[in-house]
Amino acid sequence: MLVVSAIISGLGLGSMYGLIALGFHVTYVVSNTVNFSQGSSMMLGAVLGYVFGIRLGWPMPLAILIALILCALFGLVVERTLVRPFAERGSNAWLMATVAGGIVLDNSVLFTFGKEPRGFPSVLATKPIDLFGAGVYPLQLVIPLAGLGIAVALHLALNRTRVGKALLAVVQNKDAAQLMGINVRLAVASSFALSTVLAGLAGLLIAPLYSVHSDMGTLFGIKAFAVAILGGITSAWGVMLAGLVYGLLEALVTAFFGSTYTQIVVFSVVIVALTLMPNGLLGRAAVNKV
Amino acid sequence: MPTRTRIPHVTRRLLLAATAATVFAVPALAQDTLKLGLVAAMSGQSAKSGEAIVRGLSIAIDEINAKGGLLGKKVELLVRDDESNPAKGAVAARELVQREKVVALFGGLDTPVSIAIVPFANQNKVPFMGVWAAGTPITRNGAAENYAFRVSAVDELVDVALVEYAVKKYGAKNPGMILINNPWGESNEKGLKAALEARKLPYAGIEKFETGDVDVVPQLSRLKQAGADVLFLVANVAPSSQVVKSLDRMSWDVPIVSHWGPAGGRFSELAGASAAKVHFIQTFSFSGNDSPKAKALFEALRKKYPEIKSFADVTPAVGIANAYDGMHLIALAIGKAGSTEGPKIRAALYEIDKYEGLIKTYAKPFTPTNHDALSAQDYIFTYFKGDEILPLTQ
Amino acid sequence: MRFAMPLTILGLTGAGIAFALLAGSYAHFILALVALTTVVGVGLNILVGLAGQVSLGHIGFYAIGAYATAILTLKGLSFWLALPLSGALAGIIGAALALPALRVSGPYLAMITIAFAFIVQHGTIEWRELTGGQNGLMGIMPPSLGPLAFAEREMAILSTLLAGLALYLFHRLAGSGWGKAMLAVRDSETAARSIGLNPVTTKTVAFALSALFTGLAGAIFAPLMMFVAPDSFPFSQSILFLLAVIVGGAGWVVGPVVGAIVTVVLPELLAWLAEYRLLLFGALLLVTLWLAPAGVIGTLARRMPRRKPDAGKPADIDLQSFLGRGASSALDVKGIGIAFGGIKAATDVSFTAAPGRITSVIGPNGAGKTTVLNMIGGFYRPQSGEIRLGAADLAGAPAWRVARAGIARTYQTTQLFGTMGALDNVLIALRRGRLGNPVKALDAPADRRAAAALLAFVGYRGAPDTAAADLAHVDRRLVEIARALATRPQVLLLDEPAAGLMRSDKAALSTLLRRIADRGIAVILVEHDMTLVMGISDHVVVLDAGRVIASAAPAVVRRDPLVLDAYLGSTAYARPRAAPWQGPGDPVLAAVKLRAGYGAAAVLDDVDFAVRPGEMVALLGANGAGKSTTMRAVTGLLRPVAGAIVLEDRDIVDLEAHRIAAAGVALVPEGRQVFPELTVLDNLMLGANTRRHVDTSAELNALLTRFPRLRARLANRAGLLSGGEQQMLAIARALMAKPRILLLDEPSLGLAPAMINELFEALADLRDEGITILLVDQMARLALTIADRGYVLESGRIVRAGAADELAHDPALEAAYLGHAEAEQ
Repeated sequence: MLVVSAIISGLGLGSMYGLIALGFHVTYVVSNTVNFSQGSSMMLGAVLGYVFGIRLGWPMPLAILIALILCALFGLVVERTLVRPFAERGSNAWLMATVAGGIVLDNSVLFTFGKEPRGFPSVLATKPIDLFGAGVYPLQLVIPLAGLGIAVALHLALNRTRVGKALLAVVQNKDAAQLMGINVRLAVASSFALSTVLAGLAGLLIAPLYSVHSDMGTLFGIKAFAVAILGGITSAWGVMLAGLVYGLLEALVTAFFGSTYTQIVVFSVVIVALTLMPNGLLGRAAVNKV
Repeated sequence: MPTRTRIPHVTRRLLLAATAATVFAVPALAQDTLKLGLVAAMSGQSAKSGEAIVRGLSIAIDEINAKGGLLGKKVELLVRDDESNPAKGAVAARELVQREKVVALFGGLDTPVSIAIVPFANQNKVPFMGVWAAGTPITRNGAAENYAFRVSAVDELVDVALVEYAVKKYGAKNPGMILINNPWGESNEKGLKAALEARKLPYAGIEKFETGDVDVVPQLSRLKQAGADVLFLVANVAPSSQVVKSLDRMSWDVPIVSHWGPAGGRFSELAGASAAKVHFIQTFSFSGNDSPKAKALFEALRKKYPEIKSFADVTPAVGIANAYDGMHLIALAIGKAGSTEGPKIRAALYEIDKYEGLIKTYAKPFTPTNHDALSAQDYIFTYFKGDEILPLTQ
Repeated sequence: MRFAMPLTILGLTGAGIAFALLAGSYAHFILALVALTTVVGVGLNILVGLAGQVSLGHIGFYAIGAYATAILTLKGLSFWLALPLSGALAGIIGAALALPALRVSGPYLAMITIAFAFIVQHGTIEWRELTGGQNGLMGIMPPSLGPLAFAEREMAILSTLLAGLALYLFHRLAGSGWGKAMLAVRDSETAARSIGLNPVTTKTVAFALSALFTGLAGAIFAPLMMFVAPDSFPFSQSILFLLAVIVGGAGWVVGPVVGAIVTVVLPELLAWLAEYRLLLFGALLLVTLWLAPAGVIGTLARRMPRRKPDAGKPADIDLQSFLGRGASSALDVKGIGIAFGGIKAATDVSFTAAPGRITSVIGPNGAGKTTVLNMIGGFYRPQSGEIRLGAADLAGAPAWRVARAGIARTYQTTQLFGTMGALDNVLIALRRGRLGNPVKALDAPADRRAAAALLAFVGYRGAPDTAAADLAHVDRRLVEIARALATRPQVLLLDEPAAGLMRSDKAALSTLLRRIADRGIAVILVEHDMTLVMGISDHVVVLDAGRVIASAAPAVVRRDPLVLDAYLGSTAYARPRAAPWQGPGDPVLAAVKLRAGYGAAAVLDDVDFAVRPGEMVALLGANGAGKSTTMRAVTGLLRPVAGAIVLEDRDIVDLEAHRIAAAGVALVPEGRQVFPELTVLDNLMLGANTRRHVDTSAELNALLTRFPRLRARLANRAGLLSGGEQQMLAIARALMAKPRILLLDEPSLGLAPAMINELFEALADLRDEGITILLVDQMARLALTIADRGYVLESGRIVRAGAADELAHDPALEAAYLGHAEAEQ
């Protein structure tokens, strides 16, 4: 029973990490930069969903839609103001700039949304159901499915639609993509919008299991980055896989060895894994040409 | 290929000027006030605690100023954010004392921050009034001349009360602990172990979890397997609710005896129906409180902070109440001392005989051997009914 | 000037101490924190500014230093012993962390350091017996010195002194062999290895030193606070440390001072904002980053006039004895071969390069020349064969060991250490990997003279401290050769040293190469400029498709029909236009006075050409003449360019690449550049990306009839196709755009003869169907058989233009490829 519940917990959390981490992956492959305020983007999704859906009482689908649209907008702003001005000059100050952007967003939300954690009610997280002797909320089953579903949808969108293929073309060869008439700058900006939407979606999904507050994304952001790297940031499937591995590792270490050493063990595993596999689980080496 | 995004020169100048202006435009110093300082967590996950303390202090200060202030001066509160970082707190305390010349310091939620400030306060003979952090060594710091006082719970005493309640109410034989992994949790781990030891009781296990943990099932499963019959819970409101939700999922109906964490926010909203199962310790609550002082304070809060509409909006009530009483006690001492000198205020604090406070009527709240105004007798057990906190009649 | 920096540091330290003596205790505290942050900043600056590595985990080292001192002094050890011990502990852990960190880079490295910070944090929480757990250790007493018990003022002075010392040591380190080696590894790890530097060593040292400084700062932080707890070392502080370095200006000596002031004092100035402080602080950081992306010092320095360098000293050292170091031995290459993923890049290559002689390795593009150089230089491990220099077999040895054994090299695209001056580039190479005293300046007078002499020897006349990245193209080539010579090699490998040089520079280069050989060095030259090769080589080895097809004296090689075919292609299977082309005169595409280049070096010089509707025009010239640059300029991939590019009636010189593509210019780029992970079908569909309402099936069908090979592979990933199939795909993809004009860049490159035949057949069909084509191909004769007109480019200028059949017999063409015959005498 311990194992079953640990596995369910781990998979649920892991797919959450995986979703946010996919956001790191998307911007990295398209532009070689990442948005270090991913955790804040996740918080933004949850907070906006709460404000629209609960506080203002809009119908939930509408609230979620508007929240995600605003998340996308935030991604565009991040790219335009915090990443592009630096990345185009070849400076890596975007790293610091996105961190600072996250601080600004977190604190702005603190003063506008409020300092108290709020509960995000959901019918999917009120009554647990029994699964192999372990109780789970339906939402906990929805999350891995949604995680997987979104990953598959993303995969399909990239591989089956014109826009998706254009994005893949940019990933594989920027020059050639331009020769196909693809606007690479637009593609980069879209990748940031996509990445914040993924994070926002993760925030919305997890909010009913957790609570909504301005600080909720910080730790998730860091763990998701660890997941992105562990999986090999160049591989979408690697990132999702690493998310599950990471979540399972956390839950199983806690279940069998106690919570004392969870973080130490997990972060040590990250270091060891990267030492043995410098490009992550499924990542690909950057080609070194002489 | 990249076209440079250049900020035009004029804009640059303006930005620079604006930056300089914001940095150096320290507000014009109000002349001749009696300054008191607060070092607390004003941002991050504990921001709510800082806000509550500021509210409690501000209402008390308003009352004092309405009566003409202290020593003929208006009282002014200076607030500093410690970001829950002891080093930042230590710097902020120095800045308040040495640059702003505050007469006394108030402390916030984090025990380590207070521990970092207290030696400095003792050295510089500035009274330090803790109104939240419950760590034992804050007031029992071993200094020959101790300037640290407190109007708040003390972990060691709370833990004794928790154990006693668990045994009396539930007949606990093998309790387990589920503690937040922060200094507060650790301090209570020590206290609970000592309290159990004193009763020669074993414990089923000690599990810790992080503030950001969404799922505490693995930890709780371990406690369940170890046969825990009562759980001691020490965590702030949001993590406490994670524990309750995880218990719900496990369908493990185990009695929970908790520190005052759940009182710090909308626990019933966060934890759902099972919130009522948690019995937690309290020093003060607005709901069910008939004292005129409590009613007056609530009215004052409502007037000053329009977003407050019901009792559920004044969380954490303990923070407000402790700060309110702490402020009045300090003011009383300053008035008695007739001076802003630290040693005289300290002596005057010992001389306070009786004070009709919000939490209780204080009789000799401070003595040279006891710097804690609240004691085990002041703790009551409460629970959430809807969004109201109600006392439990034992 | 030499003492400017030490004096600045002394001034800053003095100012700090004076401030400490005058100010109050709160100010002492702030001063101490600024000084300690400076020390950490200096440590990080070694890592970030010199070694080019990033760490988000330095709070871990800070905590280790602080906890070590706290624990040791609480156990009764003197602070003055605890301080160095804490620093050393942090340093050792830093070196240990370097091991996993070395294998990764970029975000992977960032993650390892983040994980390290969290492990340290949780370690301090859980190792309670030692660390006091969450509630930390209190009662850490400040040190005393004799009768003087330290209070905050003394702690501030101590911190300031340490900061001053740290800055001074950084200044010395940056000027030493070690510091320059770190810069070299950062700027070009490849080139660093080829002058005998072992990147593993320099990076490990950088990590260890960085951690040592940080640990020392932490060791003072503990008694300053008199209390340490895990919360005193939050992860966010790590970010602030890194920020201090970036805001100050990474790599600048006093950068950390500015950064420390910003990150420590600014929040204090904002303290009155209470809960709004972090918000405003974050915003102000953003403003700082926007205004000074290179850091405050970096941005200021850019505005200051650069100081005049001291003129190079006359070369009064004996280069003969410097370079000719005893008996040189020949380099013997015996049967080496290597395959990449089943494709044989080189097979059974053997030759001998004798001392004092110039051995050239030539061959068409893709023949495997650079692969052979990379095997000799230790960048590729040959799968068979031997590489002998004297008695030693160097096959498979790492590059830095090969370099130390006496083989130096230069690169096709120069690999100088861009941020270092010309002289420093040479100075660091003089060490041949022995870096010496880390605080002793690299430029001992004797070394300086030797380096200056080498620069003079190669004919470099620029300023010795111009950053290599700012050098003109020819100077980069020369400095790179000087740097290679500085390792006192027995063998010098040169990879296309003449590429992109002007004719006069090439003449000087050939003289230089001869002079180098005369010093007893075996020179191995890979070069496309045949005038140069034929003029100076003692022996020529010709490679084609990875095999040696000829090995003889230049005059013999030049007449070898196999060699001629390999270079110019035969005309056997091309199909000229049945009837001469006649059409309207208004060009579809025209370039007018087109000038373009990369950085400082101009590659195209007033190029004019025009392509008329339905016409097929060939753009010819040797490698490096500027053909591909022309293509990139026309399609917008290379910007900015000067002059005009007119598509029909529209000047497209300012358009972005994707808009030019949409306007009807389709390029089949050099090297195919299909999207390897996408299917053939997807690649084709992307070709039609700019068009709407396409009758997909009909157009696809037409294309697949034209390129039947693609039909069977429609669902395969493009990366799995053979070279020829990929070329067909690239052309088909471009045709899907229904372009106004089709540009082809080296379509025959790397294809087997049968494939080339098929390709040109297809091109001839396109031409006959009236598609306007601009063709660049190294197979000049072949290209001219199907083209209507041609232009010959040489060194970025059009030197001939005319009808295809006239050009085919013009001696200027052969000269452009195989060199001018007169140079042979």
